[in-house]
Amino acid sequence: MFRFNLIKLILLLSFTISAEALAAIQGDEKMILDQQGKPIPFALVKVDQQKPMPVDQSGQIQTTVSGDQVIIFAMGYETIKLSWEEWVALDEIILEEKTENLDQVVVSATRTERSVEDLPMPVTVLNSQKIQETGGMRLSEILREQTGLQIASDHGAGLQMQGLDSDYILILLDGEPLIGRTAGTFDLDRISVSNIERIEILRGPSSAIYGSEAMAGVVNIITKNNKEQSQATVALRHRSFNSWNPSLEAGITQKNWSSDIFIDHFRTDGFDLTPETVGQTQNPYQATTGQLKIRGKISPKLDLSLFGRGYLENSTGQLQIGRDENTELLDLSNNREDFNFNPTLRFKPHENWLFTLRGMSSWFTTQSSSRYQSDGLLFDQQDFSQFYHRTEFQTDYQIRPNQLLTLGLGQLVETVEATRYEDKNRFDAGYLFLQHQWDPGQKINIVSGLRADLHSQYGKRLSPKISGQYRISDKFSWQASIGAGFKAPDFRQLLLNFNNAASGYYVFGANLAEEGIARLEEQGLVAQILFAPENLGQLQAETSWALNSGFRWQIQEKTSLQLNAFRNTIDNLIEAAPIAQLVTGQNAFSYFNIRSVVTQGIELDASFQLAPKVSLSAGYAFLDTRDQEVLEGIDSGEFFKRNSQNQTQRVVRSDYGGLFNRSRHSGNFKINYQENLTGTNWALRAIYRGKFGFADRNGNLILDDKGEYADGWVSLNLTVSKTLGKGIFIEAGGTNLLNTATPAQPNNPGRVLFVGMKVPLIHANN
Amino acid sequence: MKTIQKLLLSTAFAPLLFACESNNNPDPVIPLEATLVEDLAAPNDDIDRSTGEILEERPFQFFSLEQNSLVTEQQDWDIAFKGTTIRVNSTKNVQAAVVNGIFEEITEVPANATFESDTETSFAIPTGSGNGWYNYNSATFTVTPIPGRVLLVQTADGNYTKIEILSYYQGNPPVEEIDPRTTPSGYYTFRYLLQPDGSTRF
Repeated sequence: MFRFNLIKLILLLSFTISAEALAAIQGDEKMILDQQGKPIPFALVKVDQQKPMPVDQSGQIQTTVSGDQVIIFAMGYETIKLSWEEWVALDEIILEEKTENLDQVVVSATRTERSVEDLPMPVTVLNSQKIQETGGMRLSEILREQTGLQIASDHGAGLQMQGLDSDYILILLDGEPLIGRTAGTFDLDRISVSNIERIEILRGPSSAIYGSEAMAGVVNIITKNNKEQSQATVALRHRSFNSWNPSLEAGITQKNWSSDIFIDHFRTDGFDLTPETVGQTQNPYQATTGQLKIRGKISPKLDLSLFGRGYLENSTGQLQIGRDENTELLDLSNNREDFNFNPTLRFKPHENWLFTLRGMSSWFTTQSSSRYQSDGLLFDQQDFSQFYHRTEFQTDYQIRPNQLLTLGLGQLVETVEATRYEDKNRFDAGYLFLQHQWDPGQKINIVSGLRADLHSQYGKRLSPKISGQYRISDKFSWQASIGAGFKAPDFRQLLLNFNNAASGYYVFGANLAEEGIARLEEQGLVAQILFAPENLGQLQAETSWALNSGFRWQIQEKTSLQLNAFRNTIDNLIEAAPIAQLVTGQNAFSYFNIRSVVTQGIELDASFQLAPKVSLSAGYAFLDTRDQEVLEGIDSGEFFKRNSQNQTQRVVRSDYGGLFNRSRHSGNFKINYQENLTGTNWALRAIYRGKFGFADRNGNLILDDKGEYADGWVSLNLTVSKTLGKGIFIEAGGTNLLNTATPAQPNNPGRVLFVGMKVPLIHANN
Repeated sequence: MKTIQKLLLSTAFAPLLFACESNNNPDPVIPLEATLVEDLAAPNDDIDRSTGEILEERPFQFFSLEQNSLVTEQQDWDIAFKGTTIRVNSTKNVQAAVVNGIFEEITEVPANATFESDTETSFAIPTGSGNGWYNYNSATFTVTPIPGRVLLVQTADGNYTKIEILSYYQGNPPVEEIDPRTTPSGYYTFRYLLQPDGSTRF
């Protein structure tokens, strides 16, 4: 069957027609659809005790008999029971996919396909329904609603997981790492969510298979794969601040080949929390994503897939410089580009052997320029360009039915060129990882792994990890894992060559410190060397050890409880510190491995079916963080503060609030309601972020005073959606309905309202 | 500098500190008084923040700790202020050291305090955030005196003084009320205690 549903375009225009009017046109023909609005051709409808009636190929059915109760069922879907009145009132019935974890296969945790229940480590899977319920357009808007995750605004929307910053979280797209960080932050707003099939969130370090960056955890974004002969869907979404998000998804499958294309455009006017100053909090920007996937079988044993993605972003803004009557306005323009190309070959010569060869190349560039508004002359121009290539060969060998061995070998090349770095810089690295998955008994799963990294900058690194799970019963399982994580020093920490002309300070990457200080000495600028740069040594990777342990408890079919407790001990954290005092009174800085930090906490998720159409879920996260050096300083009486009478006192342990920008308490509460009469789905969420340290106010640079916290807040979010006939999907809703905005959260614009629609244009099944 | 007040802060502490000795020592203890100096205006040069160019150069404000008043450069000044920079009078061999502790608890010049004078290339009270008396917070754009930092100064007359800087903003406002864009800066509020007998005890 192959249809061009052009009629949907007309429907789109006459969207105001009421459901009753539609019902009148369609008679009493009903459609049985899945949550994506696609017909379920194998659904059955049973009226009272009569014989079940099958629907037709397009999911339609016309009831010829009547009765008191109608039962609609289909394999793999939740059964729905309706009264005759409800059945008559409805034009289409949407069946929910069974929530049993059957489809919850996770690839990022072991780099092999493994179902969630068999994984001995904490993993959360967000399926397309959960993604859609948030009404979000960019990835940050999905992740901010998840237990234990926060979005911090620091050079972009950065994820915070287990109390660690974006720098320590690896972001994967279809299993391959995404590059391009600004000051360590991977900006989640670069990722459009329109074509995401599911998101895997893996907590705890995974350096044992991924190497650097996977210290707090891994987020793997999996994009949709077309399974039909041909399909095309267009969507248009609109929300506050004049934001528009049109997108197109299309796919063709022919014989052994299938391809998916995805185009997404996003534009917004941005917003301003401080209208009294020149320049907006978020500048207007537009971003376009294009993605192409081709998958096919070259031979029965050989698969090929090609993945290509491009991202272009442009933002503009204004900045005021100078003071009093000497002010000048600058026009800002920022571009960001990101290209990925990943070819993959999979060869399965035998059922016990799988060989995968992956190539991955990524280019990331940014250009930012500022010009005087008065005469258009260039004020400043900053360019950054990064290239990353990785070739990896993975072998999976099924030793026995209960043992799977994985061996990976890889090499990578990374180059960077930037205004603030000298020359073109190149890093080379090679790695090897080994993983053993073993189910020694029905009740036990063990995954152990070890990775060795050899890097031209920071030398050797060994990262082991072992995870185990014990199933106490069918419903209850306990997991524990212990693993090492690391993060390599980044370009900035090694290569930065920066001079702030206005205040006269210098920052040198560790590799350039000796040379930089020598140059300043030659110029007679150095007053005193605080730390001889020749003694700096090589900057080491930041390292961690982490323990994760918790349970999964499926109390009833739709009632479950999950808990994970964690402790990360991180050493060798890199921090900028002064190495020389200059005659101007300013400092020259470089980077050192100086800090040790501990983050620990508990994350709890519960879900509960309150009534057949109402489900609840709740999440809570407790987080405790501390800087070990600060604690030692407090114990030896080196930290002081001032009380409200301006008297100086010693800081005691109970004053200390840990790291800045961490909420000790956070949580969420979600209600899902399926309203049968109108066929709408309601998803109401309250997302709580407890108070967090915002900035030092009393001059001792640590978080120890009440006035240094930003208030906690609740974001109330609602999404209402409905799937109309022929799979047309509409949604409306709002986020932060209480309109809470604080300058302490520059990524929170206040209340946002949205509407959206998705229309399948072509839809053909074999 | 509008008002200068005398405080009797140390009178409250002195009996406690010397309580044990006073039984054996017939000499009466003369309590030293801490002096509060409010809103000593010492604005920095006007600097174009984007280029670092000095648009208008402003003078240092010279202060005599002995006289508790502003003086001219030609007179016997001890310390001088401009912006966040504090100079000491090196021509009169005024020396300074930076120590950590609670003002009242520093009853004696610590043996390990290293006194220095200003030189061509360095200041006895180091400048720069975190080095001397203040921290600059780049998130809130405020200059805050580092709590627990006490400046020890040996005056031109050779007497030891301990100084605690309390605020860099006009009117010594609580930190919550400081708006770096509107609150006038370069206004020093500090208290100091001078031991006139030349000893190292306060």
